[in-house]
Amino acid sequence: MVEINTNELTDAEAEQYDRQIRLWGLDSQKRLRSSRVLIIGVKGLGAEVAKNITLAGIKSLTLLDDGDVTQDDICAQFLVPRDQIGQNRAEASLARTQNLNPMVKVTADTTAVADHPDEYFHDFEAICATKCSYDQLLRLDGICREKGIKFFCGDVFGFFGFTFADLQTHEFAEEVTEFKPAAFVDEPAAKRTKVEPVKTTVKRTETFVPLKDALGVDWKSESYAKKVKKSESSYFLMKILFKFRAEKKRDPAPESRESDIEELKRIRDEELPSMGIPLEKVPDHLLSMLFAEVSPACAIVGGVLSQEIIKALSQHEAPHNNMFFFNPERNLGHVECVGA
Amino acid sequence: MAASIAGVFSDDLKNAVEGSKILVVGAGGIGCEILKNLVLSGFKEIEIIDLDTIDVSNLNRQFLFQKQHVGKAKAVVARESALSFNPDVNIVAHHDSIIKPEYSVNYFKQFKMVLNALDNRAARNHVNRMCLAADIPLIESGTAGYDGQVELIKKGMTKCYECEPKAAQKTFPGCTIRNTPSEPIHCIVWGKHLFNQLFGEYDADNDVSPDTEDPEAAGSAGETALTSKANDQGDVERVTTRQWAQQSGYDSSKIFHKLFHDDIEYLLSMHNLWEKRRKPTPLKMDELPDAVAGSSKDNAAEGLKDQRPWSIVECAQIFSRSLQNLKTKFEELQSKNKDDHLVWDKDDKDAMDFVAACANIRAHIFGIPQKTRFDIKSMAGNIIPAIATTNAIIAGLVVLNAFNILRNQLENCHSVYCRLKPNHRGQLIVPERGLNPPNEKCYVCRDSPQITVCVDVNVLTVKELEERVLKSLLNMVQPDAVKDSTGDVVISSEEGEMEGTYHKTLAEMGILDGTVLSVDDFVQNYSLQVIVNHRKAEHNKPDIEIVGDQSKCHAKEEGEKSNGESALNKEEDEDDLMLLDETPTTPAADRKRKPESVEESPAAKKLRSCNVGDGDIIIL
Repeated sequence: MVEINTNELTDAEAEQYDRQIRLWGLDSQKRLRSSRVLIIGVKGLGAEVAKNITLAGIKSLTLLDDGDVTQDDICAQFLVPRDQIGQNRAEASLARTQNLNPMVKVTADTTAVADHPDEYFHDFEAICATKCSYDQLLRLDGICREKGIKFFCGDVFGFFGFTFADLQTHEFAEEVTEFKPAAFVDEPAAKRTKVEPVKTTVKRTETFVPLKDALGVDWKSESYAKKVKKSESSYFLMKILFKFRAEKKRDPAPESRESDIEELKRIRDEELPSMGIPLEKVPDHLLSMLFAEVSPACAIVGGVLSQEIIKALSQHEAPHNNMFFFNPERNLGHVECVGA
Repeated sequence: MAASIAGVFSDDLKNAVEGSKILVVGAGGIGCEILKNLVLSGFKEIEIIDLDTIDVSNLNRQFLFQKQHVGKAKAVVARESALSFNPDVNIVAHHDSIIKPEYSVNYFKQFKMVLNALDNRAARNHVNRMCLAADIPLIESGTAGYDGQVELIKKGMTKCYECEPKAAQKTFPGCTIRNTPSEPIHCIVWGKHLFNQLFGEYDADNDVSPDTEDPEAAGSAGETALTSKANDQGDVERVTTRQWAQQSGYDSSKIFHKLFHDDIEYLLSMHNLWEKRRKPTPLKMDELPDAVAGSSKDNAAEGLKDQRPWSIVECAQIFSRSLQNLKTKFEELQSKNKDDHLVWDKDDKDAMDFVAACANIRAHIFGIPQKTRFDIKSMAGNIIPAIATTNAIIAGLVVLNAFNILRNQLENCHSVYCRLKPNHRGQLIVPERGLNPPNEKCYVCRDSPQITVCVDVNVLTVKELEERVLKSLLNMVQPDAVKDSTGDVVISSEEGEMEGTYHKTLAEMGILDGTVLSVDDFVQNYSLQVIVNHRKAEHNKPDIEIVGDQSKCHAKEEGEKSNGESALNKEEDEDDLMLLDETPTTPAADRKRKPESVEESPAAKKLRSCNVGDGDIIIL
């Protein structure tokens, strides 16, 4: 786990991070400033996470992406100047990310994930993977498990998005507020007994399951079959999208909108019955909201994902175990523990 | 940009995004994020307004700004940065206050909707009224730490911003501050009042000397207050703290001796006060303890510079040094303009040092735990911590709700909350189930609204009625008032017209118990009937109480910001202060004045549907 750096914050750091230190405390800030983070995939969601954790003041950030900036990226990728469409995504995002906070060391890496040996990933305290295939994610989670690296992944499709975290066994401090009678106030006017909130910090541990358990849930099994009725559509929509990505080696694209909607319907009609899920769980109109990455959806999913990374690295406050879904139909964001 | 790429949005949304003009009020934490989402979504016409300039402490979240922008206008820099994301937008930036009359109802009418990203209640109230008058949708939002929320306001369809009472800020009785402090905050408030007495805007309600009229001390005070001196005739003449300080040449040791020795001795002479309390200990500047209270040397070495506890000797040194620096600044101002004065600012080193040192010396005298400069800054400056992630989430929800408005699906614009932890149903970003209909008794958005004001008509002047009641408490900008029965003009927004009567009392103007005034604010296109209710003034009781609903007419312990002149344009500390939804402990419009309000931030409030305790994130 991250050791607290014994060096004190500089005056410049204290000034710039003043407001957040007042929220999460000095120890959290010190843990953040000694954390190295890797972001894989620097499209809309990756850009939001890069922005938020760079602003928060981690030690270093590596942007890893072997793809080139596309026209669709400009729906949500604000780190790339518009005249750099066609350039490598990580390199094109470097300057603006660095400008967000000169106290963080930001680097770009244009290698494909598959071309990096396992050891490459050992030099990070947290890895956040976006736009990866299911197989790549399984590999990365495996590496992280082995080395105790905090693993996160997530994606945004149009207005929809999700995140997953595998923090293995995670220790954290949590602030608990209890209401206790106030210390006796020597104040004749105070007739009734005052009750005041008292904050104490407690140490807790949370255990996470690997990605394959979360994504491999058998919905026909006894314990999950009874949850289907109450379950919201998002998990199943995510499964359909992973299947689409695996089959087509790409995500639903605006330029092939109509045919991709048909493909998504086909996949739904195949996948859901095989999982024992009724088709109406994922209605047609949801399938029309999944194109490119819409900026406000990236902001919401990226905001939640970044906050989870910050919580994990600073070991402060309880992490969401283990999935978060944003359903754009109702503006509902919910946390679900799947596969445990 | 999403709207310019076929296949991302549905056609109706694409056309509406490209054809709608949007006003963003505020370019702080939420404003920067909203602006980014708008330009990436493909809006083509945006105006953004903010009167603030960029500070270093903004840079951890207001990501359109960088170090080299510190001191520059937020709206202007935000525009430049957003244009680098998308040069094809027409963004108009105003470095200005939205409360100015030039931003009229007609100005508002040019926009399809308004997105608020504000930090203070006065501006929120004002924009609320402007949008009601222009009949355009307003999306209100706010964050505080990990919590945030988004809410649609549409005339006749939803609650307006002023439909529900906002919990008033915590205030303290004058005698607690001046005579019998028992908590650190009492000493901090006293320190801020002292700053104003010496260097700031004079306010008789914020006196710092012993309160001889403390009802608890009745009969015991025999001596003359030390701010009094006998004149040639032997009469006792009161001098203000500032006059006293000026006469003594702002001599640090003399002022120290008066505040922390003589005034304390005087308090001790009010024997009744100390029958059940620990007696305060007067201090002499040359006999101060140099140990640091409640702290070993070890933990004093850790943490931020501002988190290191000060000994009383250090406090006295910092007191003297900051006093002299403030004196120099004050005299410089006064040499240019005799009426000018300093304004307390938590980010001004000397102003902050002065209050921290005074608060800790006073705490020591009364046996109250001392606080670090870091903590005192939070409390004195009403700092509501703000972070990038919550702002990003809330701004995303604002723009998704803006899309709902553009698709003419206002009924789907439900309020949304975001919290640190999921609720019992696993929801982290929580939409409400429907819209909240307007409050039928709202004194702002219902037809022909009415309100009752309880005051002493023999004491309150016409000027106070205008400044403190109509402008400060009722948030008007340029009110006109006439007596309903006779049509006589009482207050006119025309400059100079009513000068002769401004200092008359209400009674002298024929405004008595039961008199009805028709008040009209031309800027806000807002009319209100004010019923005057006479109530005799009492010591240490609020002298103004506003009641929307007669059945709720009784005094409460908390009050609203009192100083009329400062309420309108003073921003609260944080950009993204959450204000929308508080536990309704105070009935609607049951706001009234109390002299000892702490600061301008209306911050003491609880957030609904929080885990217990999470709501108490705000200190004052």
